[in-house]
Formats: sequence, C-alpha cells, structure tokens
Amino acid sequence: MLNLLTAERIKLFRSKKLWIVLAIFTILPILQAVNSKISVDYGKELVQVVDTVINGATGVLMTEKNGLTVLLVISAFICFFIGEEFQNGTIRNALSLGRSRTHYYLSKFVMAALLSLIGTIVMTVVGIISFTVIFEFGEVAEINHYFIYAIKSFSTLYLLILANVSIYVTISFLTKNSGIALIWSFLYTIATGFLPDIFQQTTHFKHVTYWFSEVFLFYSDFANPADIAKFPVMVLVSLITIVVSSTIGIFLFKRTDIK
Amino acid sequence: MSETILKATNVSKTYGKNKALDKVSIEIKRGMIYGLIGENGAGKSTFMRMVMGLIKIDEGDIELFGETGKKEVQRARRKMGQSIETPALYPELTARENLKVQAANGGVSEREIDHLLHLMNLSNAGKKKAKNFSLGMRQRLAIASTLITNPEFLILDEPTNGLDPSGIVEMREIIQRLVAERGITVLLSSHLLDELSQVATHYGILHDGKLINELSKEELAHETRQYIELETTEVQKAVVVLDELEINDYEVVNGTSINIYERIDDVANINRSLVLADVNVSRIGTTRQKLEEYFLQLTGGNSHA
Repeated sequence: MLNLLTAERIKLFRSKKLWIVLAIFTILPILQAVNSKISVDYGKELVQVVDTVINGATGVLMTEKNGLTVLLVISAFICFFIGEEFQNGTIRNALSLGRSRTHYYLSKFVMAALLSLIGTIVMTVVGIISFTVIFEFGEVAEINHYFIYAIKSFSTLYLLILANVSIYVTISFLTKNSGIALIWSFLYTIATGFLPDIFQQTTHFKHVTYWFSEVFLFYSDFANPADIAKFPVMVLVSLITIVVSSTIGIFLFKRTDIK
Repeated sequence: MSETILKATNVSKTYGKNKALDKVSIEIKRGMIYGLIGENGAGKSTFMRMVMGLIKIDEGDIELFGETGKKEVQRARRKMGQSIETPALYPELTARENLKVQAANGGVSEREIDHLLHLMNLSNAGKKKAKNFSLGMRQRLAIASTLITNPEFLILDEPTNGLDPSGIVEMREIIQRLVAERGITVLLSSHLLDELSQVATHYGILHDGKLINELSKEELAHETRQYIELETTEVQKAVVVLDELEINDYEVVNGTSINIYERIDDVANINRSLVLADVNVSRIGTTRQKLEEYFLQLTGGNSHA
C-alpha cells in the first residue's frame, strides 16, 4: 500500500491537473473577495445568510459558499486521475505485479481525499485572508468560541466533500473511462443536489432527502445554530456514504477484467 | 530438469457466448523464449492477461514459479514483468519519471534507472516526456519499465507491433540480449510466425481459443525445411530410382508428386537418373514451405497471419 502511495505521489506532483485544481481553489476566493468589495462599493450590503462569507471569520465557510464548484472541479480531477489509468493501460503495471486490487483502489481514494483536503484548506485559508484584508476579520454571529467552531465546521464541510469524493472514485473505477466517468459524476452531483428538494415534496421519498451529503452542503447555513446542531447527522451521513460506496467500489473492481 | 516457470492447465475463458480460450495447457520452463502465435482474436492477449491476473479464469489452473495457491500465485507475480499490446506509459511524465513510478509500484530501488535507460538506448531521452516519443522509443521504455523490478519472467504481447523494420530488428536484439545477459524467461506473442521464428525457442499455436500445436525451434525447422519437389506421372518408377540412388528421406505426397528431403543440392543428378530410367519428369526443383504457409495449413487456411 505504501509503495502504491509513493507511486501515486510521483504521478500527482508531476500532473498538471493537480496544479490547475489548486490554482482554481486559490484564485476563486480572491476573486470573490474582490467581487464582494465591488458590490459593497456599489451600495450592496453583505448578508451572511445570503452571501455566506462576509468577513474573515466567516471565510471558514468558503467551501460551503463554493460547494457546487468544489464538487465539480474535484470530480473532474478524479475522473481523469483514475480513468486515464485504464485508458493508458498503466493500471496493468501495478496490478500485474501482484498488487492487491483493494490496496490499489484505496491508494487512489487516499490521494483523492488528500487533494480534496489540501484544496479545501487552501480555499479556506485564502478566503479568510482575502476577506480579512478587505472586510476585516470580524466575527460569526452567536459564536462564542470561534476556533472550536471553525475546526468543527471545516471538518464537517470536508467530510461532506469527502463523501462525494468517495462516490466519484467509485464511479471512475466502475466506468473505467474518464469521459464517461465525468458525465456520470456530473449527473450524480447535479441530481443529488437538486433531487432531494423534489423528494421533500413527496410522501414516499421524504425520508431519503437527508441521506445525500449535498443536501447539507447546498441547503444548510453553517453559521446558523439550528444547522450547526445537525453537524453529527452530517458526519454520520458522510461516513456511511464513504463506507458503502467504497465497499461497493472495491467489491466490483475486484471482479473487473482489466483490458 | 529445468524449473517450470509457468504451467497453465486447461484454462478457459468465455465472454458472453464467445469462448476466448478453450482448455489451453502450456508449460514454460526457465530459459525458454516461448512464442505464442495466432491470428488476431485467437486468444493470445487473453491468455497473457490471465497469467498476469488481470482477468478472471473461468476454468483451469495457473501455476507460477511452482506456486498454486491464490495468494502464493499473486505473490509470485512480483517476479514477472509485462508489456501488453500498446506500451502502458504516463504520457505527461518523462522516461525517468515513468521508471520511478514503476520502481515505486514494485517497491524496488531507483538505482537501476540510469542503467536501464542506457540499456534501452534512451539515455539521451531521460528528460523527454513519453508523449513525445516515437513508437519504437515507447516500446523500449515500456520494456525498461518492466525490467526495473528485475523480473525473472517477462511477458511481451506483440512487442514489434507497429515498428518499422529497423525497430523490429532492434526489439529482437533486445529480447535476445535480455535472455542471454539476465537469464530471463520470455513469453511473447505475435501474429507473424516468420518474425517469432527469429527469436523463439518454443512455439504454441493458438487458433480460435484452442492450442492446436506446440513445437520446439528444431521441430519447426524440420516442418518447414527445404526439399526437392518432384512432379511426375510415374510415381512408382520414380520411387524405384530414388531407392537405387539410396535416397531414404522422401514422401509420396500424391499420385503425381514426391517431396525429397535429402541431397537438396543434387537436383541435377537426381533429374538425370530419373530421365535415364525413362521416368517422365514434369517438374523438379527445390522449394521451402514458408512459415506462413505452414501456419495457414495448421489453422485451416482462413487466417490473416
């Protein structure tokens, strides 16, 4: 497993895709801070419930503010990162050496999770800094212990993202093609982002609504005490999603013929 | 007796209704260069993928380096290297980085990288991205990549596919050098028997998923050796003359044709003796059954090889 992770590290650091993803996660918060400043200069008042991030303190919610963008960028990266191994035939190089398929799958998942972690940390830190520079650090309303709140909200947001990362990894291993994986991942992201709203309107599927991590990511306000109270449920849904999707992914990958 | 590296017993694989491999049994011993020949779709790549554990076996057993248990066979695969069809490389990485990745996959040191680049005539291309390589360079880099883990058994699927004549010669020399210098056992495939005959020591002929013949280099040479082809309407009288000339190695093919396998350089004398004995000779001359013709004869003549 460590050998496979070393190989993944070499591939990842030499990959243009990694630097493109990190560049997007770095530039986006700066642009949003500048954009907010221009809006304020034109007379708009920033409201936390609507704008999510309004100062340095709420910058910790940068991932929530850009939830859909983060998911789409990460899904595109994962689809290429895994799909190209099948398309280039390079997956054979590791597997034909007798490497365990479970380890191979997990090494890809670990690298995707690490990239997501680094990406979300970069986005959050750059968000906090750029909003602090323009709007000062300020505070999050009704939060007394900011540091603990920041750690909790960032960890929960990351876990919600990670649940989706796990799904994207599964999709990529099942489709074995970056293009097809990309289409299914986008469809999944869009569908599970918006279908739950439809589920909510029905009698039979109402209970399914809160079993998708995007529901929390897209529709919660992480600065609202009522939603903060739901953090444990969010963590549970994320963990269950990760375990179930990875188990299905590994199970099916072990039965896949590699061309 | 030399060690058995690979022993496949009655292995079969079915895709839907198509039987890609049908009870194929092959034994490869240490030091062999085993050439697997068959037309496209005969099952060569399927067999190789099975040996490497990339596809599941429906029936039969694979024994590798004397190991038969599932986990043990999996572990034994660490002594193998492979290059299947197109070279499997990371196009965005340089030659050196590609080798680093494979060294990490195999859990081995990177010390051999410079030596392998030199061995494959890629020393000057170590910093060039693989996507800018010619096909020949990619093939050589793919082989260097398989050698980084110091394999004892190398599987090469159509290693000369798409190469120009000089590339084919170069690839052949590389394979022969690896066997001579590193003592590697090789299983390689091709749909060109002529090409395989230049390197292989043993042959297995696959047709429609079945192993229809196995033979050594010597046996193949015997099957495709040069001979005198005699055409006459008086086979009986011709046979008497051949016996008088003390020629024993001949074959009466049919009522008008005899193949003579000895005294190949003595056609003129044989012809004179036949004419003096009043045998009506329609045609006499030396000929050689081409490897491709031999292959077509075995496979029923409906192949593309």
